[in-house]
Amino acid sequence: MTRSRKTLQERFEQMPLAEQMGNIGSEVSRATYFKNKNNPEQVFNCIARALELTDSSIKAAQKNKLRGTLKELCLMREVMCDYFLGNNEYNINIKSFQNYFTQFAIAAALKKGK
Amino acid sequence: MKIIEKITLKELQAMTGEYYDDMIKGVVDVRNGILALNAALHSEIKSFLLDGGSAQEDLWGINIFPFLEGEDFIVYESLINIRPAQNNRSNIVQDGNLKKQIAKIVHSKII
Repeated sequence: MTRSRKTLQERFEQMPLAEQMGNIGSEVSRATYFKNKNNPEQVFNCIARALELTDSSIKAAQKNKLRGTLKELCLMREVMCDYFLGNNEYNINIKSFQNYFTQFAIAAALKKGK
Repeated sequence: MKIIEKITLKELQAMTGEYYDDMIKGVVDVRNGILALNAALHSEIKSFLLDGGSAQEDLWGINIFPFLEGEDFIVYESLINIRPAQNNRSNIVQDGNLKKQIAKIVHSKII
């Protein structure tokens, strides 16, 4: 991993969870856009970035011993892979899934606005 | 869900049915030689092992079919295995050596 990428990862891990999830949600939105455009290569690229960010969030949750957050992040990761790269066996409603991230983005924006 | 120290084949077979008819989901920590089995989702076992100190990059999801033999006994497939950063772009473990490592750990627990 390049030095700048590692620095970005460290900075990401230090962000509040809401901000992390907002960023992951952005990649999920982009992946949804490309899925609707039937562009699997771009879907994969977006999800690869989303997974990288998610794994950083998981690492942070593990470091901070946030058991509930850890469990939820691992589940979210599995669901993301199932919908975008699998067969949607969990029958995800993508609008609901995107809404899930939107709530975090709103929370992050509200907090910043304070 | 539990970490397996030692288990007989009969005990493995008895484990089926709780979540899946003929299969048990598992996650292996290849660095520490840990096998954890039996949950509805691989992500549940993964978070359990992460909580216990395992590192994400060492955890790989499998399915054990205790009523089958040979190469069908372990299927190296799980959504948690999709890890582009580790060059595994599929839910199936791509690296042959890694598969061997996983199999060695699984079989070492079966008495």
